[in-house]
Amino acid sequence: MTDKQLSAQEAELYDRQIRLWGIESQERLRASNVLLIGVRGLGSEIAKNILLSGINSLIILDDGIVTEEEQHVNFLINRESIGKKIAEEVLIKAQALNPLVKLTADTSDPSTKDAKFFEKFTIVVATRIKVDLLLKINRICRSSNVKLIFGDVLGSFGYSVSDFLVHDYCEDQLKLAGKKRAYDGSAAKPENETVRVKSQIVFPELNKVLILPNTKQSVEHIKKVKRRNEYFFLMLILLDFRNRQNRNPEVSHKEKDIAVLQNIKAEVLDLYGVDHNKLDDSIFELVFGEVVPVCAVLGGVIAQEIIKGVSKKEVPLNNVFLFDPVRYCGKEETIA
Amino acid sequence: MAPTSSSVPYSIDPRAREMIQGAKVLVVGAGGIGCEVLKNLALSGFQDIEIIDLDTIDVSNLNRQFLFRKEHVGKPKAVVARQSILANNPDVKIKAYHDSVLSSDYGVNFFKRFNLVLNALDNRTARNHVNRMCLAADIPLIESGTSGYSGQVELIKKGVTQCYECQPKPPQKTFPGCTIRNTPSEPVHCIVWAKHLFNQLFGEDDPDQDVSPDTEDPEAKSEGENSLTESGNVKRVSTRQWIQEIGYDAEKLFNKFFMDDINYLLSMENLWKKRTPPKPLSWDNALQLVAEKNEENENTVRTRDMEVWSIAKCAQVFANNVSILRKELGSKPFLVWDKDDQPAMDLVTACANIRAYIFSIPQTSKFQVKSIAGNIIPAIATANAMIAGLVVLYAFRLLIQEYEKCPSIYLRQKSIHSKFILAPDRQLSKANPACYVCSEKPFVNVFVDVDKTTVKEFENEVLKKHLNMVAPDVILDGKGVMVISSEEGEMEVNNDKTLAELGILDGSILKCDDFLQNYELTVAVNQHVAVDKDEPPFKIIANLEDLKAKEIENGKENGDNKEPESDENDLMFVEEGFEDPQEGSSRKRRKLDSDSDDDIVEVQM
Repeated sequence: MTDKQLSAQEAELYDRQIRLWGIESQERLRASNVLLIGVRGLGSEIAKNILLSGINSLIILDDGIVTEEEQHVNFLINRESIGKKIAEEVLIKAQALNPLVKLTADTSDPSTKDAKFFEKFTIVVATRIKVDLLLKINRICRSSNVKLIFGDVLGSFGYSVSDFLVHDYCEDQLKLAGKKRAYDGSAAKPENETVRVKSQIVFPELNKVLILPNTKQSVEHIKKVKRRNEYFFLMLILLDFRNRQNRNPEVSHKEKDIAVLQNIKAEVLDLYGVDHNKLDDSIFELVFGEVVPVCAVLGGVIAQEIIKGVSKKEVPLNNVFLFDPVRYCGKEETIA
Repeated sequence: MAPTSSSVPYSIDPRAREMIQGAKVLVVGAGGIGCEVLKNLALSGFQDIEIIDLDTIDVSNLNRQFLFRKEHVGKPKAVVARQSILANNPDVKIKAYHDSVLSSDYGVNFFKRFNLVLNALDNRTARNHVNRMCLAADIPLIESGTSGYSGQVELIKKGVTQCYECQPKPPQKTFPGCTIRNTPSEPVHCIVWAKHLFNQLFGEDDPDQDVSPDTEDPEAKSEGENSLTESGNVKRVSTRQWIQEIGYDAEKLFNKFFMDDINYLLSMENLWKKRTPPKPLSWDNALQLVAEKNEENENTVRTRDMEVWSIAKCAQVFANNVSILRKELGSKPFLVWDKDDQPAMDLVTACANIRAYIFSIPQTSKFQVKSIAGNIIPAIATANAMIAGLVVLYAFRLLIQEYEKCPSIYLRQKSIHSKFILAPDRQLSKANPACYVCSEKPFVNVFVDVDKTTVKEFENEVLKKHLNMVAPDVILDGKGVMVISSEEGEMEVNNDKTLAELGILDGSILKCDDFLQNYELTVAVNQHVAVDKDEPPFKIIANLEDLKAKEIENGKENGDNKEPESDENDLMFVEEGFEDPQEGSSRKRRKLDSDSDDDIVEVQM
């Protein structure tokens, strides 16, 4: 699809979203090339939403094998896929979601990819990777002007972290007109006017956002803001767990894993000078497996951020999103 | 292979985990939210699902209704959604109904079979109906909707929360007939007129959709003059006949609607004392109004749909499509206007723009005309995914009756002013004690002109359209006289009689009973004559005292729960000319959690 203009077929297919974000956004989406790392519960949801939105190409990078548990949380695979390579197994169903998108699978290990691999994308979406790999990819992306968004679902909890670099965007704001009076004295209908406003957000590099214990990095800029959302710390605890254990918490080791999480919690909260009561230990009951409806919520949030990132339309989340696993409140937390 | 319990998510309440596999769930609607909800249910271990949807699949659904593909266009949504789910989850028991949920086949006993009902609807009529069915069956209902980037999820449970109809919805926007026919001032007026013109030319006869000048316009009359001619319409009787007689000659049609009728309007001088008078436009003159650039050569999506056509192009499009549609009409009794039918859409775009030109109103692109004429609400996959995720998270809680943990949640577009994307209310919304649906003894005041309104109009406009009954039986209280019957053929003799002729006068009480909805409503009739031309013909007010209360309590927040939220109960219904949002619940938003005071969140397990 080298033609910059939308075809009549595309205009018809994408009609309902073009009416929301406009034809320029749709053309930008159509020119964008996306890398998705990890196509499990959350990854399958992200893939669905961005394929439907009409991007140019998507590469799905995942070196995993389909397990029975995996198959339960992923609507892109079925039982026949068990034991096979997940990135390849999702292709048929994923492509059926939108035949217009160029879709490819890559079954190699994300940590083996070099700078050249990443620089061809408009945006990289990463799930389930360790923080050190994330920070490495972030550095590469920064040097090639590639945006990055990272997210996970752990149990009923979910988050995303964005680095959209220096992000210029525009926003249509509704300007409410004051009541005008027609000259016959009757109240004329006020006409609301839509104005396009341009803005910019400068995102911090992720090594300033995701700081784990024992990295000897300063956290003063994060501590400066009092009353941080406690789920920001839950995210760090879970990331540190993944770093140390090389996996997410698992139901089969539940008691052991909760004990590890409690230890990490103490270290993280101490690092940030936060009272240990701020985060109740009972929350760790809710971080096992991937709860599918939570994947749907986070997959929606992250895909919407990808769409904002490439279309440069509407205010993106700046820069952390946290989904409260108890109240189902979804909030932005800014780490600057 | 037997279903494995591991498909039930681990990190939810253990009591809910045990309930999931035995639960029976009804999903109403297999559209944007419905597809997502079905997927979430199946992947969360629900084994017994039923889905009902009347609709068939359209191309414009495919950007979000991901259980459907191109080859499914035209097929029933419920059936294809079921097949798609089964392809991945062969063990799920899933039953599909390609049918209207309003049908009498789905009575209270049908609803009672379920543990939960999940609404994923796109229109108010069906939402109101399912609300009543779930109240009658006493089954918890999760109501949801999206519109563009926003959406919401709300629990409705009899005796626990407010019902869908506790808070009146803003009335749908309509326009007085004389604005459309005589004095348009906005693009939308011209678009409505153009749709009426389509119906005049090809559609079913509807006297409310006359496009010719309205001489009964009160504004047009000189002082003291009060003509009561039997009809205010010019050449009313013969318009369609005349159209057929001239063989749908495009030039003659053009000159009648855009020149002769406009000249007639100009003769109603009172209308133009304070307005810019319209400029009559003949066919020959229209063809001179060409664009500066050559429109023929450019045929991209942008130029065809996004840019405003020249008047000359509009005239040509008018002529071409009149001829196409005439062939389409053939020997059919009439055509039904459809925004997705190219010739019908082109004709309306052309006519709306010619009329806009005549009245010095800004012209609009086909893309814009389609939004307005088709009442299209934008819809995206991401918002539907988020809302459907929350619906199923709440479904887990409802299985163990944790109603208090299910306050309404609002999905909001991220703005620089707000950190919230998903904002839950602090508590459940309490029922409105004066609600004419869920209160102990439903009661409503109807203001209507008893001398003019016929029984049929009362049944269709007031009871069905505005009070959302499906098949009402009505008895005049005190006299015990049956006025309207849901049995066909029983009471038709009354249809054309006025209310007054049947003894329904100011102060009369009507007992209205909808057997299907298991709903009894007492209606107090109040004589009311619309004075202003812009005034709706009926008014429906739940509680008369609210009218006074409204003025006194204007500044008071309705957040406290001991008092009824009395400042919102007066309703002004006007004729509905537009449908409800695509997958949008157009409910009034309640006050949201404020941004600043929500940093401390208790973790309750």
